[in-house]
This record gives sequence, C-alpha cells and structure tokens, in this order.
Amino acid sequence: MNKLKISSSKKAQQEIVGFVLIVVLVVVGLMVYLVISFKESPAEGNSVQVGNMLDSIMRTTTECALVFEPDFEDYRELFGSCYKNEVCRNLNKEACKYLNDSLREVLDNLIKSEATINYYKFELFEKEGAGIIEIKWGNCSGQISGAQRNIFKDSQTLIVRMTICN
Amino acid sequence: MVRALSFLEKKHRTSRFMFFFFVEKKKFLASRKNYNSLAILKNNKAQMKIQQMAFMILAVFLFFILVGLFFLSIEFRGLRQKAMLLQEESAVSSLKVISDMAEINFDSSETLVLDEDKLRILLGDFGKYYETFWPVSSIKVYKIYPAGEIIKCPSLNCNYYEIYNSGQKNVKEYSTYVSICRKIKEFSYVYDKCEIGKLVVGVKTNE
Repeated sequence: MNKLKISSSKKAQQEIVGFVLIVVLVVVGLMVYLVISFKESPAEGNSVQVGNMLDSIMRTTTECALVFEPDFEDYRELFGSCYKNEVCRNLNKEACKYLNDSLREVLDNLIKSEATINYYKFELFEKEGAGIIEIKWGNCSGQISGAQRNIFKDSQTLIVRMTICN
Repeated sequence: MVRALSFLEKKHRTSRFMFFFFVEKKKFLASRKNYNSLAILKNNKAQMKIQQMAFMILAVFLFFILVGLFFLSIEFRGLRQKAMLLQEESAVSSLKVISDMAEINFDSSETLVLDEDKLRILLGDFGKYYETFWPVSSIKVYKIYPAGEIIKCPSLNCNYYEIYNSGQKNVKEYSTYVSICRKIKEFSYVYDKCEIGKLVVGVKTNE
C-alpha cells in the first residue's frame, strides 16, 4: 500500500518537475527575447522632416561677410569657414563664435514653432575626426529622429547632423 | 527470554493477519458483486487520470496562448504610431511637389525653396486665375526665422502668406520646413537672401 503511494507520489513529482521545466524554458526564452528587443535603440533614421529642417537652416543667409558686405555667407558656407577658422570681417568676429551664437538663436526659433519637440542636438564634425560645434537643448523623452548632410571643404568632409526628440 | 516471547507473539500476529487477509480477499473476489465494485473503482481511477491529463493539456494550452499574446503585443507595439509616421512622411514628401512648381519655386535646381516675390504676386489678383490649378485645399506659407508676430500679407514687414484657400471643411494640414528666398540688391551687388519658413498644405479628408 505504502509502495503504491510512494510510486504515485513520485509520478506526480515527475509531472510537476516537467511542468516547471516547461515554464522555466518559456520564461528564459521570453527574457532573451525581451533583452534583444529592448536592446535595439530607438530608430534614429533619416527623417524627412528633420532633413528638410536641416536643409532650410543650411540655406539661410547669415549676417557674416568674410570678404565684403553684402556678400553674406549662408550657414552651409559658414560651417566651412568655421572649420577653416576664418573671420567675419563685417562683424569683426570669428566665424565659429558667430556661428555658435546665431545658430542657437535659429534653432530656438525653430523649436518654438514645434510644440512637440522636447530635445534637439546639432553637431558639426569632421568625418572620422573631432567635433567642431555641438549645440543641444532639453531632455530626450520620446521618439528620436534625425538627419545629416555632408559638406565638402578643401578635400575634407564635414558632417552636419541634427537629432530631435518628440 | 522476554524478547524471544515478544518476537514469537509478533510473528504469530502477522501470520494470523496474513491468513485473514488472504481468506477475506478470496471471499471478496468470490462474490461477483464485490468484483464489479472493484472494476468500477479502477475505472473511476482511470477517469480521474484522464481528467487530470485533460486539465493539464488545457492549462499548458492556455499558458502558451498567453505567452503568444505577450509576444504579439510586444511585436506590434507602436505599429499604429509607425503607420501614422509613414503617412506623414509621405505627405511631407508630396509637399515637395507643390514647392517645386514653377509658380512658387525660387531656383529650379533646388527643392523646397520658395520665391518670396512670386508669393507676393500670387497674393494679388493674379492668384484668382490659379484657383483651379492647385491640387490641394489650401496653401499657406509663413516665416519662422527671423521670428516675429504673425502679420498677414500684403502689408509692411509681413510674414504670413495665404496663397490659396478653397474654404473646404474636413481639411487636414501637413507642413514642412522650406527656405523663403528673394533677390536683394545692395550697393549694386545682387545676392539671395534666404529665410526659414513653413509651407502648410491642406488636404481634404474623407472623415
């Protein structure tokens, strides 16, 4: 009688162990899946909207004239001038200094027009090289989108990148 | 001695128990009625096992369904948001078509650059002839940089151009950043002055 009880108890134990094994396997699988799926950083792909924003910034005429007034530079040219450490003669100011100040003003105005943006980062850097300018504002919470453009200056490639969060 | 006696007594008791057990079992099995009840008992046990197995299968099945639902909910999270984003991106791309029309485009070699002088012309009587031309419900352009209070054109230092408005209802507006450029002549030198603006196009929805 006792032997019968022991054997049936052992069978139940085996079934429980089998079930626990299945649960453990599924949980481990889920954990692996979750880790992989959450490890993927949010898409920072090439957003059309941010790309258009960047293009319109780069075409904007500045108040900086390197040679004579009114031969004003646009931001695309000014990025190159900053890289070459040139000076805005009409303002008697370094191109990089002017670029830093005026670009921040432009970006702030753009961000004001978009209520949903809570963070932006603007970078100018040499390809495979050091950063030249970095302007950022806010804390990123939400979807990241970005775009970048290349500028060629004296056989050197500069990269302008903009990232926003909304 | 005492130990030996108790051992004998124990043995005797066991043998008596075994004798009664076998006799009773024989008697029990001899009776047809009792045999049937044992069969029923065995049958009940089998049914119980089948039930157990069925419940187990059901539980495992439900568990896997829950796991599957969990997987699906993770897989399809943000799908609606992604679809909306794609729709918006395609709308923004179609804004390029409007901005590249010769009627408002500044330089044919560049996209999303509007000619401020052309915008001014379209605001006047000339714009009436274009009412059937525009493939959209409304077209508006306003300057973002340099920033300032919105002043509707035509007026001094204006920054808001309402090029076309069909007056339709149920219109969804899509916008994108553009450059608003004009030719300026200073000290007999002509240059392009570009500012940042937004092109807002209204599309009729079926909602």
